Amino acid sequence: MLSTFIVNSPILASIFFTIITIATYQFAAACQQKWQYIWLNPMLFTISILVPFLLLVDINYQEYSHTTEVLNLLLEPAIVALGLPLYQQFKQIRFYWREMTAILILGITVVITVSFLLAMWLIKAPEIAVALSLKSVTTPIGITLTEQLSGDSSITAFAILIAGLFGALLGPQWLSFIGVNSAKAQGLAVGSASHVIGTAVLVRKSAEHGAYSSVALILSAILTALISPWLIPLIQQLFN
Amino acid sequence: MKNALYTIFAISICLLLGKLANFLLAALPASLYGMIIYALFLQFNWFSPEKITKTNQWFIKHMGVCLVPAGMGIINHFQLIQQHGLALVFIIFSSTFILLTVIGYLSERYLITPDNINSQTAEGSK
Repeated sequence: MLSTFIVNSPILASIFFTIITIATYQFAAACQQKWQYIWLNPMLFTISILVPFLLLVDINYQEYSHTTEVLNLLLEPAIVALGLPLYQQFKQIRFYWREMTAILILGITVVITVSFLLAMWLIKAPEIAVALSLKSVTTPIGITLTEQLSGDSSITAFAILIAGLFGALLGPQWLSFIGVNSAKAQGLAVGSASHVIGTAVLVRKSAEHGAYSSVALILSAILTALISPWLIPLIQQLFN
Repeated sequence: MKNALYTIFAISICLLLGKLANFLLAALPASLYGMIIYALFLQFNWFSPEKITKTNQWFIKHMGVCLVPAGMGIINHFQLIQQHGLALVFIIFSSTFILLTVIGYLSERYLITPDNINSQTAEGSK
């Protein structure tokens, strides 16, 4: 029934699905605000409600993504808006940007290589391997990069979410366990591994944790965008 | 309202310049160029940080909803999850911990600063 609705009145269908998506998301965000659970992630919550809904009304993914195109278009300006936190952190970046860049480049190279090789070994699908190797950056940028490298961006979106939750829930404890205790190091590590989700948790520890975490989140996104377009094809060649 | 329009204008200009940079230089996606240009313009005060902050924060707070359609693609991957769900979680889990360890350890060791920096950063973060 709904799929004929999409064919007959595409504009109304667009409005309908976009509003449903936004409303579900807002509801989830309100719940998280109220209870403050990290795992009550609005995106995860929205997807786990909308997937059964689409299956129930028999709408496939292509139809859905077509009707909610407008949300996808907003992704680019949303990334530009991240320039504000970047500007706010310039002071810290300026102070030791060389060391931070070197450390992050090393970390990113290791994580891309390890994820790609593990994925090729265990799952043997290049588009999944690309998606998994880009899972440590913030979601909008991860999706953009995955599409650029012809990976599967829905897998990226999910992997980013899970990596974010792991790092946010267990990251600080793990770091203390291996003797990494300074706010700077914990912030950089969790920010680069678990992006926004990790940063949201670290801010509660101290402002310094949060500041370094957001530096790492943005810097590692930029560096990943610079490194991945040549590193990933290079590793891919090993399998040809 | 005026500030909201100002922010939308500022972001659009930067995105446009980002598209131009992407066209001329390739390398980074247009939106990332836009983000860097936006940050620089704020730094030089070509766009007023005071005017854009409120709308911009609102934008960042709600940007997650733009990611839902991309995440919904998981609907096409039930088979993959059934078959390789454990492998997926294992890869994400182990590589996340490797990254945490590498960056945490190196930063702890090599980012040594005088203590006065800490007080500055604490106030600059909020």
